[in-house]
Formats: sequence, structure tokens, C-alpha cells
Amino acid sequence: MGGADKKEDQLMLWVEGVSRQFNALWAVRDVSFSIEAGEIVGIIGPNGAGKSTLFNLIAAAIRPTSGDIRFLDHTITRAKPYQVSRLGLARTFQIPKPFRQLSVRENVMLSALRRHRTPHRANRLAGETMEFVGIDHLADTSVASLTVGLLKKLEVARALATEPSLLLLDEVMAGLTPPEVREMMAAIAALPSRGVTVLWVEHVMMAIMNVAQRLLVLHRGQLITQGKPAEVSKDPAVIAAYLGEKYAARS
Amino acid sequence: MAVQVTQAGADTKTGVSGWSLSIAPRRGALSVVEVIVLAACIAAALTMTNRHGVDIMIRTFLWAGLALAWNIAGGYVGLISFGHAAFFGIGAYTSTILLLSYGISPGIGLFGGALLAAAAGALLTVVCARLRGPFFILSTLAAGEVTRIAALNWRSLTGGAEGLEIPAISSATDMVFATQWPYVGLVLSYMLLVFALSVWIERSRYGYYLFATRDNEDGASAIGINPGVMRVSAMALSAALTAIGGTLFVQYFLYLDPTHIISPDISFEFALICAIGGLGTASGPVFGALIIVPASELLRGWLSQSASGLYLVLYGLVVILVILYFPSGISGAIARGWAALTKKKTS
Ligand SMILES: Nc1ncnc2c1ncn2[C@@H]1O[C@H](COP(=O)(O)OP(=O)(O)OP(=O)(O)O)[C@@H](O)[C@H]1O
Ligand SMILES: [Mg+2]
Repeated sequence: MGGADKKEDQLMLWVEGVSRQFNALWAVRDVSFSIEAGEIVGIIGPNGAGKSTLFNLIAAAIRPTSGDIRFLDHTITRAKPYQVSRLGLARTFQIPKPFRQLSVRENVMLSALRRHRTPHRANRLAGETMEFVGIDHLADTSVASLTVGLLKKLEVARALATEPSLLLLDEVMAGLTPPEVREMMAAIAALPSRGVTVLWVEHVMMAIMNVAQRLLVLHRGQLITQGKPAEVSKDPAVIAAYLGEKYAARS
Repeated sequence: MAVQVTQAGADTKTGVSGWSLSIAPRRGALSVVEVIVLAACIAAALTMTNRHGVDIMIRTFLWAGLALAWNIAGGYVGLISFGHAAFFGIGAYTSTILLLSYGISPGIGLFGGALLAAAAGALLTVVCARLRGPFFILSTLAAGEVTRIAALNWRSLTGGAEGLEIPAISSATDMVFATQWPYVGLVLSYMLLVFALSVWIERSRYGYYLFATRDNEDGASAIGINPGVMRVSAMALSAALTAIGGTLFVQYFLYLDPTHIISPDISFEFALICAIGGLGTASGPVFGALIIVPASELLRGWLSQSASGLYLVLYGLVVILVILYFPSGISGAIARGWAALTKKKTS
């Protein structure tokens, strides 16, 4: 990887030789890539490929064993998650992490508090964000009563309400009905026009193939290929990674 | 039907904006029910004339303030502490030592105690930063016991097991009064002050950051909140307010020793009042204290002659029943009851 001839000032995210080891397991191994402002980049790969671990590394929730990560002008390799968030990098959690004792509105409002200071002012942005994600009708319900699909939408709203420049989405389509998937696809596609660059992990192929401009493929912690969705889906290495070596050999 | 008295210009529909007065208890707002019940209780208490009655009233208001202070750590940021008696003791000892050795008025000395307790609370939280749940609780219990043993052994400063006595010479600058009523004024102001502070916290950005830290630390970090700062600051504030209560307590009883002041029983009582009244709301600890303190005093009085153990049995029974059937405490029960009532009416 590397060697790409890109202008530094356009880079949103720059990941260089990042690895993370859990005991004997290399969950992420020597991964390098970069993302420019305004892109929607997808990450695919089989279960356990290291996608969420890569997100945790970028969001500074865990430290890399080696390698470097830069976000805009900052090296965030050794930063704390709240510092990275304040710089404008937001993330959703694959397993939603809402504030259980608060309402949907308060959950979203909390994200907007850093910039808008008072609950009253933050509430305005919370309202807009809930509408954008399609959960405004649930504003005053308790989070404890939400289904998985709604919790996923709430994750997106909570991340967006921090007004990030880079948004990491981790499997936000899980639990959504087909019409909801289409709505969410439209919402994600609209993000660059709102100044949000997107890095997105997804198992719902139809969604990510249609919306992402570029795909990265992770397999056993390594970045095996990247390119346009149509090219990547034909790549024999990708098919092998998804189906297992035996099936690839047979076909 | 939602009867809401709302500040001009504020949006009535939003749960988090403007000053509003709703009927049922709600976080960050004063409800009609709360105001009426509180006012009635305070008014009833103020009609007390016999010495024992006024004594119970003083304890009730003081313990309500102390439970509110405990609630800032235990309820708002989720740091359940069984060591708050240490902060209570730090407040009581600091102001008393300053008074007895240097003639400094407890009105000033209480700030010294508050600062020391805040530092102790912050230190405790930093040291126990990685501990959660029962491990944190046990550490606070241990910290309380260490403080008690230190106070017992540091005789030159604390008077050891014999304790310290404030001369019962009435003097406003020494905060010693001949009658009970000035004390009623002091503890009532203390309670109202901590209550107002709690309501302010519930409505502020700071309060929301505390709730977020309590509900989901990773989620809080991911939206830019530093959970460590939230925990340490809430514990320091809670400890400082508890210390002020300690000063007021010793000014009323004019005597303190480590065994009674820095006892785990006192820490448990703060926690219990909050659990019964409703954790994490400003009205909960006040309701809890209004019920627990007089009830336990009366029970103790009535049952002490017949069977001393019976008092504890009854006490425990009430606590278990409340925790089983009213998990969000009295204020939660009122809110749910009101919701059920209004639903029936409209449907
Ligand atoms: N904290 C951890 N400790 C030990 N092993 C871990 C830890 N986190 C992840 N792993 C391991 O690292 C590997 C990659 O996990 P990761 O969650 O990143 O995969 P993923 O690509 O997100 O999978 P999925 O599609 O199922 O979400 C897995 O084998 C997982 O068991
Ligand atoms: Mg994952």
C-alpha cells in the first residue's frame, strides 16, 4: 500500500501501517489507506475481519500496537476518544451505546451540547438531526423501549449531532426494514453535501455497493484490496475471502 | 392534559428547555406535586412546638440536604459511595478544630472543611478511577473506615476516642445558639441550597454530562465528554456539600467523636434515603428524608422499651418493600401514579 500521490491538505484521514494485536491474534495487521474530504468510503469483510477493531483504533477507543493515524492536521494515534470527538471525528457503535435513562431527544441533544452549550440551544440541532434520521416522532420516548433498528438510527443521530467532519458508521443497517434501508441509504448519500465525510462498515451489500464511492476489503485483519464497488465485487480474492478458499477453487 | 407554567419565549413541547412547572415530578423541573408536598411538610414541621419534635425536624432537614449532596455522586454520575461519612467527618472536624484552636467562626471554617473534603473526594475518585460497581463501593467503604481509624489515632488533632466538645456558650459568631430555632433556619437553608443546586445541575450541560457518564462511559467519551473529569468533579462537589452538613451537625450537637461521626451507618443512611426517595432526582432525597428520618426516630422511640431488635427488623422490612415495589423511589411512584391518573381521564 501507500505511495499514492495525493495532496496532503485534502486528506481527511490518513492511516499508515496500523496493526493491533490481541494476545496471539492480529485483529488488524499493517493496514494503510487514506480518505479525502467529501468521500463515502465503504469497508467490507467477513465476520471477524477486524472492521470494528479498525474503527476503534481510528476513534482512539483502543491504541494500535504499531502504526500511525492522522485526522486532518492532528496525529491521533495516542489521543483519547473524547479528544478525537472534539476534533470532529464521530462514530457509531456496532452494539449501540445509548444513555439508557434518558429520552431519545436527550440522547441526541447531549451530542450537540459541546458546541451549543445550553440544553435549550442544543435541542434545536437535536430536533433537526432526529428528523434527518427519521426518529423525530420518538423524541420523547425512553431509550429503553427502542428496537435494535431504532437504536441503530439513534446511534447515527447521536454521532451526527456532534457536527463531525468525519463520520464512522459501523453496520447501521442491521435491524432495519427494506424501506428503512432505502431511507438510510439516501441519508448517508446526502452527508457529503452537508460537509460530512463518511467511512462506513456494512454487511448489507446492496446498500454499500450503491452508495459508497470506494470500497476497502478487510480479511483476517489485512486490507486485501480496494477500489470501485463494481470492480471489488468481481475480484477473485474478495470472493475467496467471503466464500472460503474451497468454494473459490471450485468455481 | 398537561398543565405547564412556562417561561415566556420557551418552547413548551421540548422536555429540556425553559423553566417549566409540570404536575408530576420530572428531572430538571419543579412539579406542582413536589412543591405542594414539600411546602406542606415544611409547614407541618414548623408547627412543632415540643423539643423532641423540633429535634426530629432539624435532623430531617439536615439529612435531606446531606442525601441531596450524596445524590450528586451516587445518583447523577453513578458513583455509589459508602464512605461519605468521611467527608461528613472532615467537615465537622475541620470547622471544630479551627474554632477551638484558632477561634475561627464555623461560618468560615465550614469552607475550609468543604475544600478539604473536596480534595479528599477528588483523590478517592482518582485513586479508584478504574474500579466500577461493587469494587468502587467497597473501596469507598474502606476509605471511610481508614478515615475513622486515622481520626481515632490522631489524638493531638482530633481528641481521639474522647472526641471534641464545643462549649455551649451562646454566640452567633461561634454559631452556637441557646434555642433550637436558629438551627432550624440553618439546616432549612442548607437543604434548600443543595436542592436548588441539584435542580440547576439537572437542567445544565454539566448535569447532562454527568448522566451520560453514568449511563454509558464509552458513549459519553465518543461525543467528547471526559468521563474522568465528570466523576472527579461530581465527587468533589458532593464531598464539599457533605462536609458543610457535617459542620452544621456538630454545631447543633456541640460534640463529635470518630465512632459516631465517621461511622458507616451514616454513609448507609445517605444512600438509603436516596434509594427510597428516588435516585438521581432532586426531589427524591428530600422525600426520602421526610419519611425515613421521622419514621426511624419514632420507631426507635416506641420500640426501644419493648424489643430493641424489632426496630431494625421493621426498618429493614420497609426498605425491602420500597426497593422491591418502587425501584425509582417515591418520586418515581408519584410520577407513574400521576401518569396513570391522567391517562384514565383522557381516554
Ligand atoms: N477486545 C478484544 N480482545 C480480544 N480479541 C478481540 C477484541 N476485539 C476484537 N477481538 C477479535 O478481533 C477479531 C476482529 O474483530 P472485529 O470485531 O474487529 O471484527 P469485525 O470485522 O468487526 O466483525 P463483525 O463483522 O462480526 O462485526 C475477532 O477475532 C475478535 O474476536
Ligand atoms: Mg464489527
